[in-house]
Amino acid sequence: MELAKKQTATQSQKLMIFVLTMALYGLATLFTELIPKFQVGFVEFSVEYFLFIPLTLAMLFDPLSAALGAATGELVFSEIMLGQFGGLGELEKFLTVTIGVYIAGRMVKNPKNRKMVGLAAITGTGLQLLMGTVVDILKVQFAVEDFEAVAGLPESVFATEGFAFLNDLLFSGILFCLLPTLFLVPKLYGKIEPLLGMSPRDEKTGLGGINGKVVIGAVVGFAAAAAAELLASSGTPLIEWEAEWAESGSALALGMVVAAAVVVVALVILKELATRRNRMEQQ
Amino acid sequence: METKMKKKLSENILDKFSIDFLRSQVLKNAYGNDDTVIAGLDPRILLVWYLFLGLVPWFVNNLWFLMACFLLVLVTTLLARVAGLVLLLFGVGVFTQTGYLLIVSFFFGGNASTVIPLLILTLKVATCSLASVTVFSGLDPDKLSNGLMWYGCPERLSFSISYAYRVLPMLMEEFQNILLSYRMRGNPPEHETFVGKVKYLIYQVKVVMHAFYPLMLNTAKRSRTTVEALEIKGYRYAAVNKTVKKMKLATLKVTYNDLLFLAVSFLWISLSLLASTLF
Repeated sequence: MELAKKQTATQSQKLMIFVLTMALYGLATLFTELIPKFQVGFVEFSVEYFLFIPLTLAMLFDPLSAALGAATGELVFSEIMLGQFGGLGELEKFLTVTIGVYIAGRMVKNPKNRKMVGLAAITGTGLQLLMGTVVDILKVQFAVEDFEAVAGLPESVFATEGFAFLNDLLFSGILFCLLPTLFLVPKLYGKIEPLLGMSPRDEKTGLGGINGKVVIGAVVGFAAAAAAELLASSGTPLIEWEAEWAESGSALALGMVVAAAVVVVALVILKELATRRNRMEQQ
Repeated sequence: METKMKKKLSENILDKFSIDFLRSQVLKNAYGNDDTVIAGLDPRILLVWYLFLGLVPWFVNNLWFLMACFLLVLVTTLLARVAGLVLLLFGVGVFTQTGYLLIVSFFFGGNASTVIPLLILTLKVATCSLASVTVFSGLDPDKLSNGLMWYGCPERLSFSISYAYRVLPMLMEEFQNILLSYRMRGNPPEHETFVGKVKYLIYQVKVVMHAFYPLMLNTAKRSRTTVEALEIKGYRYAAVNKTVKKMKLATLKVTYNDLLFLAVSFLWISLSLLASTLF
């Protein structure tokens, strides 16, 4: 009964979906990091998005596990493994990918309905891209001091970010998200679920469409993403603090230097003593 | 004659940039340098160090301080002997984040005054990413995930890190095999003319997309096996059990080297603060 009521009932099946999405999307994002991009005029041709993988899986399986798996996979495979981890700022990408994939997954009640699959795929991609663009513009505005004062910078930021958004949505979005998802979802439907020991999703076993709860969750998530990114790039409190102690700052900094030097010397001596003691004990 | 040379050259470059090359670079990055100074340090200490250098530069706009931080992480990156591919990606990444902004702002009538804010932004980005290169590429994955676990990161994250490094070479090999089998059975369009080249590109992209179909099915099977093996070992119970965690983390140990590393970094940073107040 339990199994029939909900789409993914057991915890271990959720873990399976998580591992599956993480491994596949991680591999794909690793390729996108490594494949060189090439430009024809103003249009950038890049295999930016293998987002069709988590989109497909979120439509077939439990959307939340797939969304979290995709975000974690990207974080671990392409950011941590290649040493590109950007600290707090990565939270933004993590949350936007999760929200985009989750909403796309929730939209599809019946994976056999092609129209809905296509609509969900492009919505999920568009959401993710739009959130990224908004946060990017805010980020540059906060990171650069006197944003408005720098000649030509505001226009260039809006122009490049806006163009990148349209380019990504129309090129990568359609070619690498919409078409592959439309191809893969019907093909995998009914074939991949038994491999994880579940029954395929249909009208009855689906989680139900988007409701107020999902929207509120998404908005809160986006706010957290934007806040994290801005916190990572804004710097108002510390700059003021710096100006305040600038007068007596030299003395304080000198004190810090002396203290650090003393600690370094003390540690070197302690280490020397310890190695000597070890040698004595060995003899 | 010349065209032949050209063809050979491009083939040579493509050969170098194959999946095998990527695999070996990733593996080298993960496991190839565990005898460096950085790899010998305690992961907890390194994470604290990273937390400072990954966050604080964002909040400071002083050029002296940023320069000092950048030099410090540059030295540690050299000490960690990071794989070349990662450094290349770092360079490209920094350029695409701020370098192109400079060029575009010149188009919109920018001048020399645009350079200083962008230099500060570039230094910030470069410092943070080099600090992360040091910590996340310098440490081997098991140590890293242990360190993260000690700080109470979700068990899923440290599991994902250990799992990712182990499963990635296998996945890459499988993906390559699928691609090769498609290539053997397929009939690629002629690609002498321009139209043919475009058709060939579309064909290639299509093959990559199609290759994910068997890969998804195979990985689904594999992930079921993985999770079932984990269940047999009581993974979900162990993940939240305190005694198991304690046993797992018993190998972590702070030595004089770790403290020395922290102290030298601190000395360098405070020197830069002194310089920033004096000049």
